[in-house]
Amino acid sequence: MVNYIVSGLERSGTSMMMQILYRGGAPVAFDNSRKPDYHNPKGYFELEGGKIINRLMEGTFPFEKYDGKFIKITAYGLKFLPKGNYKIIYMVRNIDEILDSMEKMSGPINREEERPLLEKLNRITIKLMDEREDIDYIIVRYNDVIKNPRKEIERVNEFLGGMLNVSEAVKAVDPKLYRNVRER
Amino acid sequence: MEDKKEEKKFTTISIPTALAEKIKKRIEGTGFHSLSAYVTYVLRELLASMEEEEASEALTKEEEEKIKERLRALGYLD
Repeated sequence: MVNYIVSGLERSGTSMMMQILYRGGAPVAFDNSRKPDYHNPKGYFELEGGKIINRLMEGTFPFEKYDGKFIKITAYGLKFLPKGNYKIIYMVRNIDEILDSMEKMSGPINREEERPLLEKLNRITIKLMDEREDIDYIIVRYNDVIKNPRKEIERVNEFLGGMLNVSEAVKAVDPKLYRNVRER
Repeated sequence: MEDKKEEKKFTTISIPTALAEKIKKRIEGTGFHSLSAYVTYVLRELLASMEEEEASEALTKEEEEKIKERLRALGYLD
């Protein structure tokens, strides 16, 4: 059994990566409990309204049901992964862009407090993936996908053993949706 | 040929002249024979201590609560 996961901090491009995989023909699991909105016009591509973390914390998420499929679990949730066999695409993005996007969704944020916290969560999560023998992972920078989608998607495809139709997957990247820009 | 090999081993980094002068003064009479040797030493020490700190870091209870608060605000946690 292999569980494929798209992860990263919230607003780091995890939904974009799920769209890329979906468009590229990979088996992607999601439901419609969270509808597309201004913040994610193409949809969230999540299970259980994005609240998988609750199930992971309780130890009740049915991984066996999603064998061979991609699911989205944001960074904090990875610490609750039971022993298994995982391939993870981990999205990273400029933290200030993430905070810009979070502020639009949830209101003002104390950046001096939350920036180092998110950076720390990123570091700890990457270290966790590094240390666990049942996790194979690749880090993908959101900004690189926007700048050079084909190159990045080819890299992802190589990690996945060639399961994607890259030309189709590239079409999922819409630079117009890249609205919270700090880096170019 | 040797020169090319050497080129690959080092790169040039610019620092403000005033800082360079300060460092030169600091390394006078020490075992450091050049500005580059001293800067390399300091950076190695700094990176090693950052890596050590990062390797042992974990979220405190308070930090976990703040993360959960953010996740709730974004709709990722009940």
